[in-house]
Amino acid sequence: MSEAVKKEQPNVSVPTVTFTIDGQSVTVPKGTTVLQAARDIGIHIPTFCWHPQLKSVGACRMCYVEVEKMPKLMVSCMLDAMEGMVVYTNSDQVRQGRKAVIEFILINHPLDCPTCDKGGECDLQNLTFAHGFDDSRYDFKKYRFKEDDMTTTFDDKKIGPEIMLNRNRCILCYKCVRANKNAFGEYDLGAFERGNITQIDAVPGGEVNNPFSGNLVEICPVGALTNSDWRYKIRVWLTQTTPSICNFTSSGTNCTFYKEDHQNKIFRVTSRENESIDNGWIPDITRYGYQIINSPDRLQTPLIRKDGKQVKATWDEAIDYIAKKYTEIKESVGGVCIGGLISPSLDNRSLYSFSKMIRTVCKSNNIDFRGDYRMLPSSPDSPFGVLRSQPFSISAIDDSDVIVSFGSDLIHEHPNEYLRIRKAYNNTNPKIYSIMPYAVKSADVANIEYVYNPGTDESAVNAICLAAIEENVVDSALANDYLKKVLPSTLKDAVALCGLDEKDLRVLARSIADGKNITFLIGEIVTRSKSRDAISAALLNMNKLFGISSKGQISILARYANSKGAEKLGLLPDPIAPIKEILKKNFNGYPESEPRNTDEMMAHIRKEEIKGLFVFGSNPMMLYPDKEFIKESLDKLDFLVACDLFETETTESADVVLPLSGWAEYEGDYINLESICQTAKQAVKPNTDSKPAFEIIRLIAEKLEKSNFDSESLDKELADCLAVNTVIQFPDDFIEMKPQTEEIIDEYTLPIFIIDDAHHSGYLTEKSPSLNNFSAEAYLMMSEELAAKNNMKNGDSIRVESIVSKVILPVKISQSLDSDVLLVPRNFQSSPVTSLFMRKRRVDRVKISKVDA
Amino acid sequence: MHYSPVITNADIAAKDENLHLFQYVEDPKQCEIDTFVSRGGYKAWKKVLDSISREDLIETIKKSGLRGRGGAGFPTGLKWSFVPKDSPKARYLCCNADESEPGTCKDRVIMERDPHSIIEGMAIGSYAIGCHLMFIYIRGEFTHCIEKMEKAMEEAYAKGHLGKNIYGSGYDLDMIVHTGGGAYICGEETALLNSIEGERGQSRMRPPFPAIEGLYACPTIVNNVESLAAVPHIINRGAEWYASLGTEKSKGTKLFSLSGHVNRPGNFEVPLGFNLKDMIYSPDYGGGMLGDVPLKGVIPGGASTPMLLPDMIDVALDYESLQEKDSMLGSGAIIVFNENTCIVWVIKKLIHFFRHESCGKCTPCREGTGWLEQMINRIEAGQGQTGDLEKIEEVCGNILGRTICPLGDAAVMPIQSALRLYRDEWQYHIDHKKCMVKSNFEFK
Repeated sequence: MSEAVKKEQPNVSVPTVTFTIDGQSVTVPKGTTVLQAARDIGIHIPTFCWHPQLKSVGACRMCYVEVEKMPKLMVSCMLDAMEGMVVYTNSDQVRQGRKAVIEFILINHPLDCPTCDKGGECDLQNLTFAHGFDDSRYDFKKYRFKEDDMTTTFDDKKIGPEIMLNRNRCILCYKCVRANKNAFGEYDLGAFERGNITQIDAVPGGEVNNPFSGNLVEICPVGALTNSDWRYKIRVWLTQTTPSICNFTSSGTNCTFYKEDHQNKIFRVTSRENESIDNGWIPDITRYGYQIINSPDRLQTPLIRKDGKQVKATWDEAIDYIAKKYTEIKESVGGVCIGGLISPSLDNRSLYSFSKMIRTVCKSNNIDFRGDYRMLPSSPDSPFGVLRSQPFSISAIDDSDVIVSFGSDLIHEHPNEYLRIRKAYNNTNPKIYSIMPYAVKSADVANIEYVYNPGTDESAVNAICLAAIEENVVDSALANDYLKKVLPSTLKDAVALCGLDEKDLRVLARSIADGKNITFLIGEIVTRSKSRDAISAALLNMNKLFGISSKGQISILARYANSKGAEKLGLLPDPIAPIKEILKKNFNGYPESEPRNTDEMMAHIRKEEIKGLFVFGSNPMMLYPDKEFIKESLDKLDFLVACDLFETETTESADVVLPLSGWAEYEGDYINLESICQTAKQAVKPNTDSKPAFEIIRLIAEKLEKSNFDSESLDKELADCLAVNTVIQFPDDFIEMKPQTEEIIDEYTLPIFIIDDAHHSGYLTEKSPSLNNFSAEAYLMMSEELAAKNNMKNGDSIRVESIVSKVILPVKISQSLDSDVLLVPRNFQSSPVTSLFMRKRRVDRVKISKVDA
Repeated sequence: MHYSPVITNADIAAKDENLHLFQYVEDPKQCEIDTFVSRGGYKAWKKVLDSISREDLIETIKKSGLRGRGGAGFPTGLKWSFVPKDSPKARYLCCNADESEPGTCKDRVIMERDPHSIIEGMAIGSYAIGCHLMFIYIRGEFTHCIEKMEKAMEEAYAKGHLGKNIYGSGYDLDMIVHTGGGAYICGEETALLNSIEGERGQSRMRPPFPAIEGLYACPTIVNNVESLAAVPHIINRGAEWYASLGTEKSKGTKLFSLSGHVNRPGNFEVPLGFNLKDMIYSPDYGGGMLGDVPLKGVIPGGASTPMLLPDMIDVALDYESLQEKDSMLGSGAIIVFNENTCIVWVIKKLIHFFRHESCGKCTPCREGTGWLEQMINRIEAGQGQTGDLEKIEEVCGNILGRTICPLGDAAVMPIQSALRLYRDEWQYHIDHKKCMVKSNFEFK
């Protein structure tokens, strides 16, 4: 989609130059390097230090070309094409120059290819093969960084949880240091010493543990940086590749699975550049998240509860049992007594067939895919629904002149989009603003970071609008309308509520008003808030006042791999009308029962109106921010069917547990946050006795004598749903709004927010050993000031108490956090942090105290 | 702190008014702002702010023929004119005081003895390019210079020569004394800028040139101490006066740091075009060879410049004449060595320096200098092998002109010239496993 948009733009104003490469005449836009121009026409100029996403530095000198009328060899990565230039990329002089570079590089390189993991995909190996000598003229001892290395070639040094460094192999292209700093904004890797003993290393006392660190290994042109995930496991030429996409990011990061067919095992994941999505960088979650597929903890067979204990069963037994129990409940209770909860990370076919099963077999609208959000709205066109349905394009970030991130801790929620914003920051220097209830690391690229008081989200939005009105930068008629609907109506009052700086707000208001191409992205703070509709209403008002959507994009970003697909395929309890129409046609009717979302389902389970529940790939016990509420509900159920890759707290209370296949084990389509449909191909066959969700649903449905659950019919039916435009129109008028306040109870004063750890997403990734190397247990993240105030230091055990529960967590001090809030990751089963939360609260608050040793 | 004075020809300069840079350096009071002002200091700066437009100022410097004294000899006025006039970005001026070319010690004298002249020159240069924040990047080991410059800067602020609204002109100018970590490469202008930015001291590829995209990606001018110190004199006495000094193409005076086997090593200010032979043998300057041992060779412009044989030293010290002899004026560090000197040993010392100072960014210099050092060490130690000289020449050829910055060239040019001029001595080392000069010395 974004590709097409780009091509349509008129390209007339860009001046071009015409020149000659190896006799071919080339016309390129002014400012294109000779290297790029040559690559574009298929002439490969070798490089070590060049990377398409990084600024050229001309360090390796491998990309020499000869240019007529220029006395010296030129490095093509830094040579802009000029009119009439005559370039030779393969002349004798060029070949001699490259050969000399290879000779220089090999002086101290150990040439330990037989024991090097990079062997077979090593740039140095390949280019030596192409240009080098078969013998070295260097007859001295090679330099070694450690005395021990004089006898062996190994200098393996762990510089991060997953990264091993071999300094002897390093050819000092500096790509890792440059990428780490410029592309990822991380400073944990550097170069030390100088001359021929220059070495790459982690900063003193630190380690390379940032959420993008795996990319450093991937871009290393030699075997200097390797990761423990891949080291000494297999030779690259024995593997086969499968194109796939990430199951943990909502942008559907493109990646490649390296697997070995005989062992039926995946060995690693690398990037697969898709310019419109990921620019060739993948976050560590994508890179190491695949390991859950290989996990020995995977559910091996179906389990049936017998005499209070879950025992192994065959698929036939399990399906028979489900059908039997289902019929019993249906007959004894009657009415709409079954509900369904599914994961938004499953593929389209699974999602659609789940909806089909719940709606046609159970005749129920008790269905939802949001197992970790409290107090969801029911109607599809709520203000939240409107903002959520708006289109979003990742590549449009590149051309934005104003980028606002509202309520999103980007690195943790949307790592690709963060890198995209960083790219814009490096290339076009747009105005970037971050607005959050607490300070975040991703705001390091922001011109101004706005941190408002937790729970005053809509006042913060209102304050921006009021600042614009006071600054006179918005239409005065609109401003008048706005003021009639909104309280407070003076900037001073709004500022008093949200605690933002008035002067900064004016800057922001001006920037949004002046912006020509705005990207306004909204994140999980809004989605997870109980007051998401009120905040969304404020944002809709803001959109109308500034006209943001008419000059850019504004959207609440989808969070999971197929959230968009779930919305489009009718997995909401009450889908929008056009979707409902199609479902009605496909299902030959549509259940008339009350639509109930996750909250309402749980409430009705407690009232014993819902007796049976299907949970597919979802773990509300762990993720829903009110553990007690879910636990009480699930305990009340007569019958719970839970499908998952692993045993979870939810499967523990299930009557039937079915092993689910992971996304790498079958082919599935996923719709990313841009509404682009992408396919994850099957990389390996299921190792356990697991099945994809749509297969399980087909078995159940067929057992209950329902047909048309085969893949072919499903695909045909769901294609109609996907064709529907699900964007909901913005409301015509401003929405009335007044600030909501929530009282603070007793001594529970500190606001606490749930986050995803930077190396985890949801509840599955803790089964990935590599990701656990970065972070394996829950923690209580706080600012340095707060820790000092409470006399706490890193690692101290802290009792965190809310009104309902208490949890003991170790302290983790964050450098980027600077306000009095606490953050807890929800990704670790061992620490039930969601038990601290209450679904009816807007901002959860706790008190903390040190556990005495 | 111990401080050993450097010989200068201040006495000659004091008599000859044309020798402006060293006119007062022998007077310790010259460091103090009152003395400096009483001798006409900051007059040029005031004159510039009062009555000279930027265009006229640059034109004056162009007309004076002042060329960069750091080594490259690029016309200073022309360099200033490269700063884009319509750029909305800030502009910066950096005074390059990272004097670390072996043999060069001239800037240090000005910093220690006449620091205000540098500040005044920097200020005028800043005005010429529209800069409001200027830096002086001083070599880290020059602690004495750093103290002097910082004190001078404070005085200049206190007396209103720097700061806001200078002399009521509305022009603001601030100054930062930035100290390096003692890396030779940081004297290279792009590495210097990286160092100020807090990056590794590694040079950047050009283009973009600093005048377009330098410090913090803003237009930046980097000038040598000596060049800037000359600027106030040009303003005070006129471009014609300055242009009347020196030769047709190399105008003005130049500081030379004479070292090695001469009777009077030291810093000397002479008009460009001064004869090298006179520099070595005249009693007012070098005073002849130490102990009357005959001359073997001269490095005329700092460690990185090709050598001259004794029969080549009747040459004018200016940019063009030395070029005709396949050498360079460089930074003006004349290193003289007598016949008791082993040329292989000289080169060994030089390549050790360049290997040690190579920044490690681009491959040929990083790896090549290390290889060269090993080969030359071997020859010097009497273990050279047949073919080593050819190999050295080839490696030199693979470095020369193939690196990001001139350090690579600087490392190989003296080697190439020594191989060309003293080939027999190298060959002797290899063939006889010992040194020709110290032929009675037996290697183990």
